[in-house]
Amino acid sequence: MNMVEKILARKSGQKSVAPGDVVLTDIDLMLMHDLSANFVMKVFENEMEGASIADPSKLVFAFDHNFAPATRDAAEALAAVRRFAAKHNVKNLFDSGCGSIHHVVMEAGLVTPGMIVIGCDSHTPIYGALGAFSTGVGNNSMAALGFTQNKGWFKVPETVKIHFHGTPMTAVQPRDISQFLVGKLGEDGAIYKALEYAGPYIESLDVNDRALFPLQAIDVGGKCGFVNPDDKTLRHVRALFGNKPGTPQFELFQNDADCRYAEVVDIDVSRIEPQVACPPTVGNVHPIDVAVGTPINVAEAGGSTGGRLSDIRTLARCFANRRVHPGVRLQVVPASRDIYLAALKEGLFETLHVAGANIFPPSAGSNQAFNMGALAEDEVMISTQARNFPGRNGHPKARHFLASALTVAASALTGKITDPRTLR
Amino acid sequence: MATNWIFQGRCWKFGDNIPTDALTPTHVMFKSPQEMAAFVLETLNPEFPKQVRPGDILVAGRNFGCSSGRALATKALKATGIGAVVAEQFSRTFYRNCLEIGLPLLEATGVHALVNDGDEVRVDIKAATLENLTTGKRLQGAPPSQFLLGMLQAGGLIPLLKSGSFPGSATR
Repeated sequence: MNMVEKILARKSGQKSVAPGDVVLTDIDLMLMHDLSANFVMKVFENEMEGASIADPSKLVFAFDHNFAPATRDAAEALAAVRRFAAKHNVKNLFDSGCGSIHHVVMEAGLVTPGMIVIGCDSHTPIYGALGAFSTGVGNNSMAALGFTQNKGWFKVPETVKIHFHGTPMTAVQPRDISQFLVGKLGEDGAIYKALEYAGPYIESLDVNDRALFPLQAIDVGGKCGFVNPDDKTLRHVRALFGNKPGTPQFELFQNDADCRYAEVVDIDVSRIEPQVACPPTVGNVHPIDVAVGTPINVAEAGGSTGGRLSDIRTLARCFANRRVHPGVRLQVVPASRDIYLAALKEGLFETLHVAGANIFPPSAGSNQAFNMGALAEDEVMISTQARNFPGRNGHPKARHFLASALTVAASALTGKITDPRTLR
Repeated sequence: MATNWIFQGRCWKFGDNIPTDALTPTHVMFKSPQEMAAFVLETLNPEFPKQVRPGDILVAGRNFGCSSGRALATKALKATGIGAVVAEQFSRTFYRNCLEIGLPLLEATGVHALVNDGDEVRVDIKAATLENLTTGKRLQGAPPSQFLLGMLQAGGLIPLLKSGSFPGSATR
């Protein structure tokens, strides 16, 4: 068995499971952002009359779409979730301004290896970078099975292994590699599958960069993604508890040497150029050349696939003593309060502010244009966000390109989509 | 939906990789499913939410319902009155949500080429077949497992749980 199968077997009380089995498992953590918490809460209250929450300590609400609600509807939705949390004793409520949900949860040390984590957010597979099984589920699963019984139902997925090797070219960032994979497999390339990211390149990355890969598992249709946990995983998890007494006990589940794969895909990262996902979909990925020269209105480093400290450092390096191109709004959205503080202390925000960028509160940024980031009909954005579907950011005819923080920075500097290898 | 596994109606045809953003865009998200129904897929076919009739069949290509895993998208689609959704392949979150809210669905390779928008089609969910009554062509899809059929038959996950027949829910 591999890591995913071992976790699903353990948590369903069985010795072993095989792809295709449907299992009912215990759940260790249940995640909802501000929007999904509101939807799940309504299902729980309206359709599960009289039920109670089995273990409120397993629930996490993180308000990331709204960093400061701009409409009455949004304010009411947040208030309803706060009341629900108080009534049901849900202590893990991270309120507006906390950051982007999965970065908040990762930093808070709420996930340890071997857990099963479900979330009403399709990017929940991220915790596969920490040796956990995690996946997105619907509001009804969460309210009916999760809340009341700490349970979830899953079909055991087949696993596709992606073997990455080689050394990337200069100016090629991990986001380019993870985005390349989405383009190579296609948006429907791994529907219902588990994806394992392996090989010397993945081993060389720190956990924060590894996390980009399972984060995007859903964007090839995957059920979950994971990196077989190693010493780096352990060091990362232990460091999260470094200053606190009592690191929680956890068990590391690792692949058996003879585990089976539905498919193995080999990728030589040294051949990958900077990549861009062009509208209208996340799978429309091409080498940067196809988009070079496209004038832009908005550039953003933010969202679950951006806004990390490394992304903000990349931006600040590009804008030291340089200015954002006139007519471009450069938006910087740190993914957590810790990242915000670190960026402040390092002086990154001063550099970016002087360059003309706008710094936004920790949040999901322009994701879904809920609190910011709507585009007019003829506007164009390039961002580190995870999604670019029409209508997700304002007008359905607006165009949204997805790229690495370095490509976003290079483009904000010139006012048009720019190959970061041409930066001087 | 009790034991009605057969649906017949007008085919509404859509393409590949249709995201939930096209079913329930951000600006309708706090409306009820009935209110959201008036906006479903309107950016791709403005006639769809206006003219869809109860029991009609939606046919899509690959990866239908990708992007956000919001169950609202399936609830709004169900509220249009659509009888069943058929696709080459569904996004996994959409597939799971359909079953959990009791919206009948069928995966059938080759279905996209078999129908035209406006054709009269008949779908049998249990037998996993689709028949194009306009052209006389017929297709066999992949039948869902007993577990998933049971969830659909109960009308979704919550009715199934309440009936006490959810596998393993009484123990473990």
